[in-house]
Amino acid sequence: MTDPELGIGSLETEMNRGFLHILALALLEKDMYGYSMVKHIEGLGYRVEENTLYPLLRRLEKNGWIASKWDLSEDRPRKFYSVTAAGRALRASLLEVWRNQDRVLESIVKEIPNV
Amino acid sequence: MSDKLEAYLEEISHFLSGRAEREEILSEIRSHIKEKAAEGPGEFTDAAIDRAIAAFGPARKVAERYVDDRPIIAPAYKRYLVRYTSLLFAIHAALTVVAVVFKKDFVIFPLLYMPRLGVVDALMYLPAAFLADLGLVALVLYFVTQSGKDVKLPWPKFGVDLDEVKPPKKGFWTSRIPTAIGAVVMLAITDFALYLFARHGTVFFVNLDWRDPRPLFMPAAGRYISMIVIAGFAASTMALLVKLLTRSRWVDVVSNVISLGLIGLLLRQPVDGLFAVRIPERAMTSIKYSVKFALLFIALMTAIELIKHLVVIGRRKLASASRP
Repeated sequence: MTDPELGIGSLETEMNRGFLHILALALLEKDMYGYSMVKHIEGLGYRVEENTLYPLLRRLEKNGWIASKWDLSEDRPRKFYSVTAAGRALRASLLEVWRNQDRVLESIVKEIPNV
Repeated sequence: MSDKLEAYLEEISHFLSGRAEREEILSEIRSHIKEKAAEGPGEFTDAAIDRAIAAFGPARKVAERYVDDRPIIAPAYKRYLVRYTSLLFAIHAALTVVAVVFKKDFVIFPLLYMPRLGVVDALMYLPAAFLADLGLVALVLYFVTQSGKDVKLPWPKFGVDLDEVKPPKKGFWTSRIPTAIGAVVMLAITDFALYLFARHGTVFFVNLDWRDPRPLFMPAAGRYISMIVIAGFAASTMALLVKLLTRSRWVDVVSNVISLGLIGLLLRQPVDGLFAVRIPERAMTSIKYSVKFALLFIALMTAIELIKHLVVIGRRKLASASRP
């Protein structure tokens, strides 16, 4: 039975959770601050909720997958992030998982005509 | 110009109180909002700050995104809260009955202190006991959750398992036939009791000779007790009639509350000097305790029914509220 309250929005949020981890770990190969990441992602045709990105960055940092430093040289202080060695290893594992999931889904789409 | 921004950050700060990294979080949000507001068409205005704040989201929602603590009670243990509280309260209520009937106080250190209680005291004591039981179970489940271990708690089964209560699958009227029969029977009993009361001023008799009935109780007490009993019959009849139209458990809740009130009124009636017939002194003592015990037992069963209905109502509300 379909739950009418379970809309695309909540399912998309669940799917985004893992995707955003990979996205942040990939983008932070280059030093970036939160707002620049938001703009960069928007430039790629995707939108990330601002109030989702910052807590995610904090969790990644807490686990040692990214590092941060404040840049106070400009008028406006900015907190720059960059991926660590542990973050790179995690990114590789997550990308592997994602590629495998993508492969399985592609196979199913090809195999079953109405999907 | 940045008053609104500071007020917004202050609100987030309030919801993040106690977190060591609060200042760091706020600095980063401040930086983001200023950056975004300055990016607009040229100017760093109040309107631009407002837009940036609106895009970032309500303060409470923002703060919640930073909180990734364990829940107070893990979802898997939530059902134990109701089950264990019901069980503990049943024991507590039974001990209350014992304390009232035997006029004793006792202690099970450090879990329970049962003072010597009168009937009215007991009725006042039970709701507080229920809250204490609920709190104790919640505390245990909180510690189990915070331990992070997969603790397999025992799952005691009751006669009626609340998890297995399901809405009737029969047709509208088919499912209501027993209720309709019950309503007709209760209506007949209520009418008959009203007829007896109107004719004789009581519904309690010693004999079954309708030409010369002998009342069981003294006139004033007989009238009082009969009116309470008739009110009880009428309330049950009304509940059954209403249940023909709606399956809402609130009907049962109201009916149980009325019943408890009427039982309370009966318990207040002194037994000494109640009977219109002569009863030996020794038998009188037994009757006094038996009547009180019976009424307390009925009150206990009614209270358990009432709690059961409230728990089911609460669980259904929680279930509908927790749907994503």
